[in-house]
Amino acid sequence: MKSKSVLGCLVLSVCLMFGFNTALAEEGITDTEIHIGQWGPQTGPAAAWGSVARGTGAYFQMINAKGGINGRKIVYHMFDDAYNPAKTKAGVKELQEGTGIFAWACGVGTSPGLAVIDYLTEREIPWIGPAAGSLHWITPPRKHLFPVYPLYYNEAKALIRYAVKEMGKTKIAIVYQNDEYGKNGLRGAREELVTHGLNTVVEMPVELKDTDMKSHVMQLRKSGADMVLLWTSVSHAVRIVGTSRAMQFTPQFMSTSTCSDFPLMMHISKGLWEGVICATFGELPDADDPLMKMYKKEAFDAFAAKDERWGLFYYAGILFVEPMVEAMKRCGKDLTRDRLVAELEKLRDFKGIGPKISFKPFDPNDPSSRQGGSQTFLIQCLKDGKAKKLTDWMDI
Amino acid sequence: MKMKRNYYEDVQMFTSGVVLFWFLTLLTGLFLLPLVVKNYYVYVANYMAINVIVVLGLNLLVGYTGQISLGHAGFFAIGAYGTLMLMVKLHLPFIVALPLAALITAGFGFLLGLPALRLEGPYLAIATLGFGLTITQVIGRLEIFGGREGLHAPDLTIGSWRLDTDIEFYYLLMVITISLALAARNIVKTRVGRAFIAIRDADIAAQTIGVNVVLYKTLAFAVSAFYAGIAGGLYAFVLRFIEPEIFTLMMSIMFLAMCVVGGVGSMMGAITGACLLSWMDLQLRNILNLPYIGAWLESISKTYFSITGVSNIQFIVFGLIMILIMTLEPLGLFGLWIRVKKYWKTWPF
Amino acid sequence: MIDFIQTIVSGIAAGSSYALMGLAMVLIYKTSEVPNFAQGELALAASFFAYMIMESFGLSFFLALPCALSFAFLLGCFLEFLVLRRAKTPNILSMIVITIGLEMILLGLVSWKFGADQKTMPFPISPYDSMAIGNIFISTLELVTVFVVLAIMAALYLLLRFSKMGLAMKATQQNTMAARLMGIRANRVLNLTWGLSSVVGAIAGLLIAPTLMHPYMMWDPLLKGFAAAVMGGMTSLPGAVSGAFLLGIIENIFGTYISIEFKAVVAFAIIVIILCIKPSGLFARHYVKKV
Repeated sequence: MKSKSVLGCLVLSVCLMFGFNTALAEEGITDTEIHIGQWGPQTGPAAAWGSVARGTGAYFQMINAKGGINGRKIVYHMFDDAYNPAKTKAGVKELQEGTGIFAWACGVGTSPGLAVIDYLTEREIPWIGPAAGSLHWITPPRKHLFPVYPLYYNEAKALIRYAVKEMGKTKIAIVYQNDEYGKNGLRGAREELVTHGLNTVVEMPVELKDTDMKSHVMQLRKSGADMVLLWTSVSHAVRIVGTSRAMQFTPQFMSTSTCSDFPLMMHISKGLWEGVICATFGELPDADDPLMKMYKKEAFDAFAAKDERWGLFYYAGILFVEPMVEAMKRCGKDLTRDRLVAELEKLRDFKGIGPKISFKPFDPNDPSSRQGGSQTFLIQCLKDGKAKKLTDWMDI
Repeated sequence: MKMKRNYYEDVQMFTSGVVLFWFLTLLTGLFLLPLVVKNYYVYVANYMAINVIVVLGLNLLVGYTGQISLGHAGFFAIGAYGTLMLMVKLHLPFIVALPLAALITAGFGFLLGLPALRLEGPYLAIATLGFGLTITQVIGRLEIFGGREGLHAPDLTIGSWRLDTDIEFYYLLMVITISLALAARNIVKTRVGRAFIAIRDADIAAQTIGVNVVLYKTLAFAVSAFYAGIAGGLYAFVLRFIEPEIFTLMMSIMFLAMCVVGGVGSMMGAITGACLLSWMDLQLRNILNLPYIGAWLESISKTYFSITGVSNIQFIVFGLIMILIMTLEPLGLFGLWIRVKKYWKTWPF
Repeated sequence: MIDFIQTIVSGIAAGSSYALMGLAMVLIYKTSEVPNFAQGELALAASFFAYMIMESFGLSFFLALPCALSFAFLLGCFLEFLVLRRAKTPNILSMIVITIGLEMILLGLVSWKFGADQKTMPFPISPYDSMAIGNIFISTLELVTVFVVLAIMAALYLLLRFSKMGLAMKATQQNTMAARLMGIRANRVLNLTWGLSSVVGAIAGLLIAPTLMHPYMMWDPLLKGFAAAVMGGMTSLPGAVSGAFLLGIIENIFGTYISIEFKAVVAFAIIVIILCIKPSGLFARHYVKKV
């Protein structure tokens, strides 16, 4: 009896193994289909970012419902990598070598991306809009990789410039996550401060494993900072703002685009996020922008599961692939990878719901030939979780 | 009933022609595998082989010496970083860097073995767990190791042979895995292994009959770390990129689970346990694409759960399989195998 | 000086959330000698249960609290009955793996049901209110936690020391067979211990949830609680609590005066050193092993 149930397990697990092969002219393209892949953590500690991948899915469904791209429907292959690079690589290989993927979209996270960057580059497979503002994507620039996400470095500069010039803050402290994400922000902030003849009063690293922020806040308070720039994850940012409140330390807080989903931030900080200024890379969820309204209605309302939220991460999944879809449309009926790259390179000031996107013909020595977006704008959190636009899109 | 008549029968490589036959079949199978299956499964096999190496080493420590380690991801990280650093900074060839890094790892294993001389049970678990957590923190802090931004693996060459594809790497891995498996078997069968087992069964008694407990306990840690070091060095080339956050506590826990699910204290158990769990680890993400089951899962998510979290079913299946195996048989897969074998042998009684 | 006192106070506050998890682990370890890795997820399930009934049925916190605690109790008993009792000839390693399996299942269920977005639980006290004595701050929620910890510790201590149940638990731990022969239903004792420990864990979860809730919120308290319990001796209730406070204080002093980057892991390094000097922790009698 018992050995039978074990046998059952084994049979079940063998069933999990499957795959199929299709022979194609250009990989991932048939007369009626375009195969596009993406990875995104649906499980694990980074799963909150997984809505990026689901947002892309809803967008593609909307495009298909409107007739697809030049008569071809997008077949979207999303898989869960749990933010584990070994799984990302496994999934990318399985889809690329099994199904055949024409191009990869987004893909959440720096380290999952870095695990497959060589694989995709060697095979000359286009990869558009990795969902992380890392410098790794453009050092060195790669012919088939098109980052869209504005660099954290630029966001930090924009925030500091605003704090110093418009708000007259001089004592600026920075709390940064002790990794590439935080350090890019730190670097941008430092450089911008130097141009104003200032220096940070204190720089506080936060480790991913930290949960208790009291020692951090104590040192911030001791430094007497009047503006604190938070370059951390959402939970750490909320904890720092909360602990500061508990210790009666109330400077102006500023934070990155990661924490600019105000309805969420207001909810989990129980209202403390009010007044915080963030940089952001996409139009506001309730903006008057016609495109944004259309996406909300025709992608989100029509195709999202009922427990989805029209939040920043969700429509970021749309934002990151807009240039890709635009370029595919411009390619016409004759869609190949080379043509897609050529069309992407021709994009000048393409405006979707994100910053203006421009690429240039490939130059291995010029990172800006591949960094699509560099614009950002600043918003301030209001009482009801709505955002007030402090600046317009600005070029840094 | 077969009986062993002298010591050499106990240590000989193949106890019977049948074993030799199956071993050769296995070798041929492994050799032919990449020619038959798709490249993706070669990658999966590589991933499995690396876990097999770690678990073989962990099994020497947990299964044969009766210690516990929740910090093997730390050794794994040292092996990975050691290999890359030796290759990038000192320009050593891979073939030298890998064993050298593993020896360094073994040194760390020896150091961790020192507190283990006085600790056991949960105390040892916490000490090793702390080691695993601290080591990645330290690596992440030091800029020389690339800090949190990680390190890229250089091209892998052995002499003039450049290993670019998964298949080439597969053959390298198989050679290493099989030799390490045979080495582990020899350790277990000889004086050292018997000392390990004596310590596991009763360390004070072992000491009384003249086993040097200090030496052998630290040796067990060192050997186990050596295996993890080799595996780590190879893992760096599977990913071609490493950063400290890859080597999480969850990884250490998985290693221990592989060892225990396979069956502590058996070579075949270690190998099957590692293969099964690492395969599930990679493949379970496809569970929603299964015909019928996937659709059914989605429909119950819509009614009772949330569709955004539907991928978490992986965890449930994983946990269920682990619990099922362990409640059926405390010796894991190996225990089940023994039970099935006995059942047939004695059938119909 | 103010800084130093503030650091100590913050340390005690931080330690109090580890202490409850430590207490819960000690309870189970005392009767079955299993380090229970599912402890955190039991608490997680109970906290999300409380969140769910508050959000969807509009219950007030004071109604949801007893519901959540009874849920936790039943869940603990149920899992012990359904899973752990089924394990044959329990050896410690397979028990550990079974608790890890349970942990994965509970984690999977919670994140399947609630998704990965961060949440926060409605709570009568705002986690960001604080009390000030001179220039020393402690948040009200943390002050409450400290008192809850001390109260639970005292209650458990009295229960184990002076009640029949406590005696039965002790007997079961020392020699299950002999306890059975003396007429103690060892299975029931184990079952109730799991329930009780799950309740203690759930209280920890409910006190952490007002700040931030997400499926991974109990990992850190679990590890730190485990570490604190080990430091205190793994079988001693006051040991676990003082271990937790000590851990919190060490972390904060280290973070303030030495290096903030290693704050999260320094505890483990110190535990290794402490264990080298006192292998059975600070507050347990050294075990004498018979051959």
